Amino acid sequence: MAQARSRSSRLRLGIAEHATGMIASVLFLAPIVWTVLSAFKPSQEARLPPLPPWPTTGFSVENYGTLNTFGDGLWLPAQNSIYVSVMTVVFSVIVSVLAGYGFSRFRFPFKDLLFVVILSTIMIPFQSILTPIFLVLTKIGLHNTLTGLVCVYVTLQLPFSIFMMRNAFDAVPREIEEAARMDGANNVTMLIRVMLPLVWPGIVTIALFAFLGAWNEFLAALVLMTDQSKFTLPIMMTALQSGRFGAIDWGAVQAGVTVMMVPCLILFLLLQRFYIRGLMAGAVK
Amino acid sequence: MKTMIAGLALAASIFALPAFAADTANIWVRADGSNFMPRIVDAFNKAHENQIKLDIIPNAEIIPKYGAAAAGGTAPDALSLDLIYTPAFSAAGQLEDITDWAKSLPYFASLSPAHVKTGTYKGRIYGLPFSADSSVLIWNKKLFKQAGLDPEKGPANWAEIEADAEKVNALGGDIKGFYFSGNCGGCNIFTFTPLIWASGGDILSEDGSKATLDSPQLRGAIDLYRSMVKKDLVPAGAQTDTGSNFFAAFAAGNIGITPSGAFAIGALNTQYPNVDYGVTFLPGKDGGWSSFAGGDNFVVTKGTKKLAVVKEFLDFAYSLEGQTILAKYGSLPVRGDIAKEALKDLDPRYQIAAEAMAKGRTPYTVVFNDLINSANGPWTQMVNEVFFGDDVDGAVSNAQETMQSIIDQAPQK
Amino acid sequence: MTTITAETSAPARPRKLVGAGRRQWVGLLYVAPAVALVTVFFIIPLGMTAWMSLHNWPLMGEHSFIGLANYWAILRDTRFWNALRFTGWYTLVVTVAIFAVAFPLALFIERPRRLTGFYRTSFFMPAVIGFASASLLWSWLLNVDSGLFSPAAFDLGLTEKKVNLLATFQPAFWSIIAMVVWKVAGFTMIILMTGLQSIPSELQEAAMIDGAGPFARFRAITLPLMRRTLALALILSVAGSILAFDQFYIILRGGPRNQTLTAVYWIFNQSFVSFKLGYGAALSMILLAILVALSTIQLWLLRKPEGVD
Repeated sequence: MAQARSRSSRLRLGIAEHATGMIASVLFLAPIVWTVLSAFKPSQEARLPPLPPWPTTGFSVENYGTLNTFGDGLWLPAQNSIYVSVMTVVFSVIVSVLAGYGFSRFRFPFKDLLFVVILSTIMIPFQSILTPIFLVLTKIGLHNTLTGLVCVYVTLQLPFSIFMMRNAFDAVPREIEEAARMDGANNVTMLIRVMLPLVWPGIVTIALFAFLGAWNEFLAALVLMTDQSKFTLPIMMTALQSGRFGAIDWGAVQAGVTVMMVPCLILFLLLQRFYIRGLMAGAVK
Repeated sequence: MKTMIAGLALAASIFALPAFAADTANIWVRADGSNFMPRIVDAFNKAHENQIKLDIIPNAEIIPKYGAAAAGGTAPDALSLDLIYTPAFSAAGQLEDITDWAKSLPYFASLSPAHVKTGTYKGRIYGLPFSADSSVLIWNKKLFKQAGLDPEKGPANWAEIEADAEKVNALGGDIKGFYFSGNCGGCNIFTFTPLIWASGGDILSEDGSKATLDSPQLRGAIDLYRSMVKKDLVPAGAQTDTGSNFFAAFAAGNIGITPSGAFAIGALNTQYPNVDYGVTFLPGKDGGWSSFAGGDNFVVTKGTKKLAVVKEFLDFAYSLEGQTILAKYGSLPVRGDIAKEALKDLDPRYQIAAEAMAKGRTPYTVVFNDLINSANGPWTQMVNEVFFGDDVDGAVSNAQETMQSIIDQAPQK
Repeated sequence: MTTITAETSAPARPRKLVGAGRRQWVGLLYVAPAVALVTVFFIIPLGMTAWMSLHNWPLMGEHSFIGLANYWAILRDTRFWNALRFTGWYTLVVTVAIFAVAFPLALFIERPRRLTGFYRTSFFMPAVIGFASASLLWSWLLNVDSGLFSPAAFDLGLTEKKVNLLATFQPAFWSIIAMVVWKVAGFTMIILMTGLQSIPSELQEAAMIDGAGPFARFRAITLPLMRRTLALALILSVAGSILAFDQFYIILRGGPRNQTLTAVYWIFNQSFVSFKLGYGAALSMILLAILVALSTIQLWLLRKPEGVD
């Protein structure tokens, strides 16, 4: 009798829990779903409130066509964005794996100071040092180049990703390293052969972070890039936002937000196992 | 002959003698010019040895970008600059003095006076008119007809604006009588101040040294807008519209009357051919009219090496061919002497806008951005408060005070 | 912090052998690229900012040295202090709101059950969208004519006419809070979850046997043991909120009536709208000093050796 009651109350509790979970999930997913669906409305319909979210007067990719008429079209800024994001990922991974390894496994003069300085850059509102950054880029001949933008983005990623990588390396037991050293591995082979496979989730995490950061950043791109052929997608988005001739096209906005959002969502869904594991490994320390 | 030129060009490139080579000058334009600018640049590039490379910059970013580029020594050779910024740019010593060249142009006297006025700083000319846009009032003929109004007659004074808007609004449903962007300084300097000017008032003194907001004309115009807001003739979105819906609201076809600009004629004709609309002047309280003469001045970066190319391009833009291209793709002609001819094959409604342009006014101040255009400046804050808020007196006197202090703090050179 | 560094690392050095000494410099080699990047793209520009803050530095034209005049002007700049006060208020509210949502979510997904993976993924999804895109998305949803919320509330009969949510301060402010919570809560949730999972389950069970209720257990075990995780989540949330800009710029333009201007927004305005780069630089230095002070306090919380972890 008592058991039956407790089972039925557990069932009720379970149902209540899943109902809560479902409602919360819907709340979190709804804005995304709403935008992706609404983007497929014809542009006349896209001006009206999105009730219901899906197209009612026919499925259309007209909004993506509109998007393609801004500046140099959709493809060129998309290419630039992909290039910048991929390069940012590659370089921030290389730089922070090296630095994370260095900070975790070596002692050297000013080590703690350097670490704190790198971390503290996270507190600087980089909007306020954009003009000097621009001047520095000009000085070293990287102004108005995608490479220059990549350098800035990599630097922006460093505090977080070096912190993550140092923690990831710290979590690797020293015994593994010592065993490998006995087998005659030097520093570099040790890093590549022994350590990398062990900190893999951390690397995926910082790579994803770097991608998201570079893909979504708009203010630096806006101020630093002057050549239209080198604009990235977020710059195009600001054009959408201010509208043309005071005519904001909500359909194009939905399409633009979708274009910006979907690659991030797909990458996250593909990599989330590593990502969440890496994030947890980094945060626990 | 061709081969010889090619040979020369080759030799020039080898020996780096720029004087003989076909040069490329870099020009920037704000996104508002993205219709006509590529067309005229294409036409120029096809017909000339020298070339123009055009970059279109988002409206709000062109000035910070130019400033940053100038600081880094990578500014474009020239840019098509919103004319209200020309005084500030000239004052900063950023622009090439083109007085002598300008005055040598045979048609100098017939260039748009508002442009030349803002392009002149301390007696020297730094900017010449490039594109033009004047503010006008537009109304929806179909809705006027439905509301029992004469579809061919636009309102000619304030009372008529309100009465007509009310009649259209009475049609109900999604249809509203009037629209304006209630949180946009730039839009309202363009379309709201002409109401004041046409009634004899002004918001700045002639030389831009005094803010003159405390005038009965301003109050009258505010009362007109407030009354329409109160009667619910204006859509709710107007209160927070920072300009992104300035044109689109009317284009959707359910707004009776809206103050707008000449650009709307081209944009409506090409993108919204179904909207049947009329164009008239922005009236004063009891008749009369005025207009804001807007558009871009063409300015040259100080010390550019491509001056010859830039002049060649501007010459082309001032030719009948150039003026016709501009007119066809959304800018009014800036040469008064050939304006009629450039417009002759186009929508007759352009003639009203061109007439408004010729008589239009433009405030002259080196701090236009801080005073008027900035989304967080005193003018923007005031228009939003006086149209929708409760404390009109406080808002006006507050704005008067802030504007005057910004003017007083401006760098005096 | 630098003094501690000097004390701990300095005595260790002389005792090192030659081989270990070489190894030291190898370590420096590994961190060199990172240090170079940070130096070139952060330290030097920061130095230039400090230098610029002592100048009258317009966007175009000549600049001139004016000493501390910019800093004196800041003292009288009521709009900056208002912006700072608003930023503080926003930071407080949004941080509380994020934790109020993220903590229950973390507790919810921490217990393994069916569909946990799905729940976790969906709560986290908004976190991978950029702030600019998210702001643009919400500026559409919040639009009174073409958006979702006002028309939906009107259609459902909740409001008499379509309410413009962005027209007055309170609804506009809370709309932004809702948007930020939607976007950030998933991220905070994951961080909090890591803290929860590091608490040994024996402790909870022991407390349960002792008859402690869920609330008492939460207060006596969960919270203290999560001190460091909480501090990390707190630092990230506070630093992010104090630097808030995108959402207020894109959705509200600092409105209604300039009531939602944040500190960074004001710096941006002074630098890139009014083009007073020197003044903007001085404001940046002030904001930086405030952030460093706050973060030091928080780091101290993070480092406090109390607790088991």
